[in-house]
Amino acid sequence: MSYFNVKEKIEEIKNTLNNSVDFSYRLYKKGSQVLGFIFLKSIIDQSLFSSAVYFPLQMYDGKITIENLKNDILKCVDIKEAKEKDMISEILDGKLIIITNFSIKILSIDLLKFPTRTPSEPPTSPVIQGPREGFVEDLQTNVTLLRRRLKTQNLVMEVLRVGSQTQTKVCITYIKGIANKKIVKQVREKIKNIKIDGILDSYNILFYLENRPGSLFKQIGNTEKPDIVTSKLLEGKVAILVDNSPIVLTVPFIFIEDLQNSNDYYTNHHYSSFVRVIRLFGLLIALIAPGFYLALQLYHYNILPLNFLITIADTTQGLPFTPFLEILFIFLLFQILYEVSLRLPSYLGLATSVVGALILGDTGVKAGLISPPGVIIVALSKIALYTIPEQAPQITVLQLVFIILGGSLGLIGLISGLVYIVNYLNNFDSFSTPYLAPYSPRIPQDLKDAVFMDPIYSMRQRPKSFSPESKERV
Amino acid sequence: MKKISVRQCGMIIVMCIFANKILLMPSLMYQQTSADSIFVLITLFLLDFVMLPIFIKLKESYPDKKLYDILKDKLGVVITKIIYIAMLCFFFFKCLLVFSVTYVYFKQQIYQDEFIFMALIAFLPVINHAVISGVRAFSRTIELFFGVVIAGFIVCLVISLFTPISTPDFFISSGKEFFSALYNHIFAFGDFIILFLIMDRIEIKKGQAKRLYFYSIFAMILVVILFYLFYAKYQITAFMHNNALADLLVFSVQFNAIGRLDIIAMLTIMFITLFQMEIFNYAFCDCFVNIFPLLNKNYSIVVFDILFCILYYVFIGRYETMVTSALFWLPYLAIVINYLLPIVLLVILIIRRRKIEKKDKNLV
Repeated sequence: MSYFNVKEKIEEIKNTLNNSVDFSYRLYKKGSQVLGFIFLKSIIDQSLFSSAVYFPLQMYDGKITIENLKNDILKCVDIKEAKEKDMISEILDGKLIIITNFSIKILSIDLLKFPTRTPSEPPTSPVIQGPREGFVEDLQTNVTLLRRRLKTQNLVMEVLRVGSQTQTKVCITYIKGIANKKIVKQVREKIKNIKIDGILDSYNILFYLENRPGSLFKQIGNTEKPDIVTSKLLEGKVAILVDNSPIVLTVPFIFIEDLQNSNDYYTNHHYSSFVRVIRLFGLLIALIAPGFYLALQLYHYNILPLNFLITIADTTQGLPFTPFLEILFIFLLFQILYEVSLRLPSYLGLATSVVGALILGDTGVKAGLISPPGVIIVALSKIALYTIPEQAPQITVLQLVFIILGGSLGLIGLISGLVYIVNYLNNFDSFSTPYLAPYSPRIPQDLKDAVFMDPIYSMRQRPKSFSPESKERV
Repeated sequence: MKKISVRQCGMIIVMCIFANKILLMPSLMYQQTSADSIFVLITLFLLDFVMLPIFIKLKESYPDKKLYDILKDKLGVVITKIIYIAMLCFFFFKCLLVFSVTYVYFKQQIYQDEFIFMALIAFLPVINHAVISGVRAFSRTIELFFGVVIAGFIVCLVISLFTPISTPDFFISSGKEFFSALYNHIFAFGDFIILFLIMDRIEIKKGQAKRLYFYSIFAMILVVILFYLFYAKYQITAFMHNNALADLLVFSVQFNAIGRLDIIAMLTIMFITLFQMEIFNYAFCDCFVNIFPLLNKNYSIVVFDILFCILYYVFIGRYETMVTSALFWLPYLAIVINYLLPIVLLVILIIRRRKIEKKDKNLV
């Protein structure tokens, strides 16, 4: 009795895959027994196919059965039975499919192989001390990087498929017994509800996970470093790994996370605290310095010390622009230079910096178009922005808002803007976690790893903000 | 329901205690009772303080009930609505007064000849947004900036010590002046009433109530110190200085050497005013929604903004008339809200307790 007409089935699959250029098959005949091997040659390890599948089969003398194939003949690790309806998706996943004319059973063997990067230090998170490994585009490698760090049976990795065309694997990772079940459920539901044709990167699903889609503020954590993801999983967070993306998303996300850096945990905690204060200070300077300077110049010049006031008056005398337009002009100039330097090749980027900094800046001042204090203030705020590079996009937009507020309403405008933003942030929670925790609301237990940092040995409890199932670390 | 912690609640009280007392009031009081104003202040604080245990008992008796529902059950809808209308006016005028006094300070210090609505343009969107965000969001905001506000306040007090000060003369005003001042300034008090309005939003765990006492006493002590230092610094000319907290910094020679420090007072006052207005606007809108249950919060905000802009525009040119009228008319309203309402609530509590005792006896 023949179960499959192997040749016909292969033709059928070939047609289903539209005669794809990388579609491949081999037939193996031994007496009346026919075996068909179907695969996409672009994504399987062909040498492994020869050495672990085809060659052992040729060497085998006895009668071939599915059980024999699984247990004795094939020298592969990941062999499983597949359903007929799943054949296409298995082939597209880099599996080798074996069909026979003597059994209804179909074998699927994982021989996936495609060009991948080796884990290296990610350009976005360089470290002075600590591990330098970074995630790559291959999900399997990323899973390995996590598994190597978390040798626990409680590490759960659920894979979902997202994207009607791309069928991208999205892996929800958490530690059972630590991560909050409600958060895991929320994440699962949100990912399941994504209706889209393709997911090309983790950023594509980020917007579906946000509690307030379209908000200016970052609501989902992201990192390229496995040590950071591991520590977040241990805190009770949920990580989302996406195939073809080196960026791993983590939820819940709170603002203070961007103030923390992996370097902080590999150095003295007093120094880490100091650096975090500097970062916070940098953030404040980046946010309000241009607006504050404008407010002082336009409305509150009487509160400036006299010498400083004279310096400003001297340098701004005779400028063709109002202070507001001057700061706006310098701000836009910096932003244009930044955008250009990002997109140009490095050898041209250097030339742009020279043109921007020396020619435009220096000549602008000498020509009396812009004032030196204006250039200094905007430059300072732009440099300070990168004390917390993760917050750079939103802070850049807010800089402009504060320039407008400071220039039009003075200090009152700045303070009102600040209170408005904090109110706004206090009104949205990331997966039931207060965005500005542990300061607002104050959670004393979580202050051990906030702006000021306690030694790691004193952090015996997991952050309460994320409502972990298990509160104690040990 | 989104609840607030006792700590956040305490901070709201602190902001309310600062309201209407840190800029104009010290000089206004001085005109009536000289340095004895400190005793007027302490007396009014003590009268206010009685409300706190009433609130705590009421909260214990009705943990998740709204004030409106309690009053409606005990007094009926009509009386409850009348009380709420009185509260609505109370909070609205408090807000208007806080803003006007601060505006006059800002005008002197910053805006001078600028457009009179500038401060309003900056403040109104923020306080409206706070109301829409809800009590939890704005109480968290207050919590975040609380340290900054208190540090600014204390720095102003400390810097004033770097000028020659001497003990003011006490016990020079008559009893009549004393009681008259008590009466005239009642409106600036009644700071705990807000707690009754948001009682269903506050989560008080066992043993946490004492924190409310701590925050209240802390704020009251700061205000008393402010009064004392202000009178000690300016003595008989105190009535001429209308911005007490900011004026404390003036003439601090040692600190002027490193630059003008007015900015500390200015920033502190900006934060305090914003938070006070957020609280009062929230209270106004809460009353409005209870009075007109068919209208939602957004309507209440629109009504508040329109009324506020009109009255601000009408009164800001006649600031002195407004302050004098406030001293004359608003105490009537304040007596109802500050004292009559807590007495009614106390009676409700007593009746409830008796009923429970009676029930227990019957069961026995």
